[in-house]
Amino acid sequence: MEQMEDALRALLSRALSEGEARDLAGITIESSWQRFAPRLCAVFSDGYRTSQLLRPSTCFAFCERHAVWDVEALRERLLCEAQHIYAQMLQEQRVPCEVAGQAWLPAVMRRLRIGLSRWRRQHLPMMEAVGTRRFLEDREAWARGLRLLVEQLSPEQRRQYNRSGYFDVTGGVSGKQYRIRQGSSMNIEQLDKKGRRVCTLCFTPRGGLVTGDVMLAQKVALEAFEREALRIANKFY
Amino acid sequence: MGVQIVMDRSGDTRHEFDTADASAVALAEERFRELTGKGFRAVALGKDGSPGTLLRNFDPEAEQTLFIPQLQGG
Repeated sequence: MEQMEDALRALLSRALSEGEARDLAGITIESSWQRFAPRLCAVFSDGYRTSQLLRPSTCFAFCERHAVWDVEALRERLLCEAQHIYAQMLQEQRVPCEVAGQAWLPAVMRRLRIGLSRWRRQHLPMMEAVGTRRFLEDREAWARGLRLLVEQLSPEQRRQYNRSGYFDVTGGVSGKQYRIRQGSSMNIEQLDKKGRRVCTLCFTPRGGLVTGDVMLAQKVALEAFEREALRIANKFY
Repeated sequence: MGVQIVMDRSGDTRHEFDTADASAVALAEERFRELTGKGFRAVALGKDGSPGTLLRNFDPEAEQTLFIPQLQGG
């Protein structure tokens, strides 16, 4: 899985490769809007902006790791993280400037980006209004799903999940052991008696549910109607 | 007090009903039939995370009933 640190590093690396070192002013997430995917965006003191695609799972993992559940706290945490990485990159001079020998190219790129930034500034308020609302809704649904999952885990499963990011389930009919990992597809392993993986199972509830709901549905299905779940599941050896 | 938890895109939607109120129970039973008719699986959740029980028929005594959308292979 892509880590937020990797995404920030790639973003800052691009900014450094396209001009002189600037002061980092902020990190934002522009949420998905219609056909556009969410983007991680770095804003610099001279108005320069650069962005790149961001997977929602990366964002959620970051929120979870740092226990930040509102947009302001997330921005602050991202900026703090980015500033640390940026300072490190400047200090170590690890800027991958592939076009160093072509002095004109960074300048052209910069002008193009400034032009694009101006266009986006004109259109961004509407995009952000829609995007932020969707991001907040997604985040609340995700948190609600996770809360329901944790409520329905046994104390041992909860300990295991908090410690390792997965929990084990015993099949209601066969008594076989299954391990449900964080995720919503290809995240169930059937285990042998020694705890080794026998195969990977993949089944999910329909309807594009959030991760917590999917994991809870998988747990409940394996415990309460294992045969049906196994009949539906795809198996990968 | 009983609660029906329906998984959906918003995480879940909860419908609470008073098990002593006949009209509320009838409404809950109607919801049960409607959802299971659409392919949802109804499971009476166990206490403290213990395994639940698949419900084929409405059980007004079930404290928490979870409705899971139809499963599909991934």
